[in-house]
Amino acid sequence: MSCIDVTHLSKSYGSIKAVDDIVLSVKPGQVFGFLGPNGAGKSTTIKLLTTLIPPSNGSLTILGVDAIKNPLEIRHKIGVVLQQPSYEPTLSVEKSLDKYGMMWNVPKNERKKRMEQLLKDFDLVKIRKKRNEDLSIGQRRRVQVAREFMHDMDLLFLDEPTVGLDPSARRKLLDYLKNKVKTGLTIFYTTHILTEAEYLCDEIAIIDKGKIITVDSPEALKNKFGKEKTIKIHLLEKTPKISNLLEGIPDCKINFESGTNIVIHSEQSELVLLKILKILNDNNIEIEDLSAIPINLEEIFLKMVRKN
Amino acid sequence: MNSIIRLVNRNITISLNPGFLIWQIIFPLIYIFIVGFAYAPLIQNVPFGVKDLGYPAFLASGMIGFNIMNSTLVSGIIIWNDRRHGMFEQIMSGPFTRSHYILSNICTIGIIGLVSASLIALVGYPVFFESVEFSLITIPVIVFGAITGSILFGSLASIISTRLRSSEGFNVIINTVFLFFAFVSSAFYPADNVPEPLRTAFYLNPLTYLVDVIRAGIFGNITQFVIIEMLILVGIASVLFVIASKLLTKLDF
Ligand SMILES: Nc1ncnc2c1ncn2[C@@H]1O[C@H](COP(=O)(O)OP(=O)(O)OP(=O)(O)O)[C@@H](O)[C@H]1O
Ligand SMILES: [Mg+2]
Repeated sequence: MSCIDVTHLSKSYGSIKAVDDIVLSVKPGQVFGFLGPNGAGKSTTIKLLTTLIPPSNGSLTILGVDAIKNPLEIRHKIGVVLQQPSYEPTLSVEKSLDKYGMMWNVPKNERKKRMEQLLKDFDLVKIRKKRNEDLSIGQRRRVQVAREFMHDMDLLFLDEPTVGLDPSARRKLLDYLKNKVKTGLTIFYTTHILTEAEYLCDEIAIIDKGKIITVDSPEALKNKFGKEKTIKIHLLEKTPKISNLLEGIPDCKINFESGTNIVIHSEQSELVLLKILKILNDNNIEIEDLSAIPINLEEIFLKMVRKN
Repeated sequence: MNSIIRLVNRNITISLNPGFLIWQIIFPLIYIFIVGFAYAPLIQNVPFGVKDLGYPAFLASGMIGFNIMNSTLVSGIIIWNDRRHGMFEQIMSGPFTRSHYILSNICTIGIIGLVSASLIALVGYPVFFESVEFSLITIPVIVFGAITGSILFGSLASIISTRLRSSEGFNVIINTVFLFFAFVSSAFYPADNVPEPLRTAFYLNPLTYLVDVIRAGIFGNITQFVIIEMLILVGIASVLFVIASKLLTKLDF
């Protein structure tokens, strides 16, 4: 059974189709990445899936429950960290964790235990007595994410949770989430940071202008698009005639960024590279630096969005 | 029900800060003990039903209604803060419905209103104890007034909070409205002594009805007019409550 089952889901705001006829199915026990540029419809999709807003069209079943008929039942079983910050300005960090657990009906002892653990896991021990309004943006975000783990849930929605976090906090959060998934949690994760999605997600959907353009595992996506590699060559000296020399090499796209930098995109990178090296050698052109970069998700993403 | 209690618990926790307590207790005390006694020589006995009240006693009883009104500002502030700091959306994505949210606000207002009223009644007691006439009828009238008044002003504050996004706007409007209510009412001076058209304005103000009802309860003078005032209070409170609930139900994210 899928955790999330969505068919022909749409949401319009006036003439804007924020979410346009999407179909989704998320298996339990995985991290499902939801990628898209600004305004693509990621947050709107999360609000639909968490029953915060009603759809204009379509049906959605979350954890086996019809979200239109029984939204409250679903909200009892899910956790949500929205993109927008949310906090009680005058409460201290520990008090806000505790009160949040209370709102979720977590018994007092259990609350205390969880709070202490979360304060450690999210590096909040030093600021536990600080009021939320006095925290930095990243600290506040950490409290917001930590708070959601005060209660049990089967499915967690995270809308760009790492925005505002420094690289180490970001990595810590991703690892924390990975561990949670091992214990059976399912996560729906939106981001536009592709390295994050690559690190964390088992499956990725790319959405643009309200429509899902592709759904696949990060590996499959890379295989599908990833025969292409980027080769960068940096010449020792400025060589204006280089563009003439390399003209006519088949199966590749070459950018001469200046007289010294050459960037080559090709699906036959090894062959192309051999040819180029031969030409450079024949003309006594010296190379200072050379690198070959396999395509990453970021480029796939940009390509897909551009094509769309 | 359980959900509502948990939300009320949270509402009270976030509202009980030192600033609010000072506002709730110190401020009315200043009125009762400084203004009350300073003005006593100017405003001599106030005829009230069959008896004459001293001005301090008159004012102290008025402060109860005034304090109920002030304390219900809390509901507006809670709603406004929840929207501004994302908690409204967060709560709505949790195990709660909008009805839970609305009802919990009403209960919070009711509790804070009742507690405020009792506090002022307690500290004001030495001032008005000579004229007090509690009975099995008057105490329910006071509690009724406190609850209806809380709902009335709480709904009004909620309506204002759902309409305004900026903090300046919210503060200016709510303070202006409530200041107007406070001074164009029978909380500070008896309506009978003020000249027309001000006197009419007094009776366009729900705080006048609230103060009259509570005063009548405290001094045991429940006349036919007071009963009409109670009905008017219920009427206005119901209308405002329905409007506030409608607006809260329609609030989008
Ligand atoms: N309440 C609303 N009223 C009107 N239009 C809205 C509303 N919410 C979202 N939209 C529009 O719907 C589209 C999708 O917005 P959404 O917030 O889902 O994007 P997103 O993918 O989350 O973007 P970002 O990466 O910037 O967070 C946008 O064009 C946005 O302007
Ligand atoms: Mg978004």
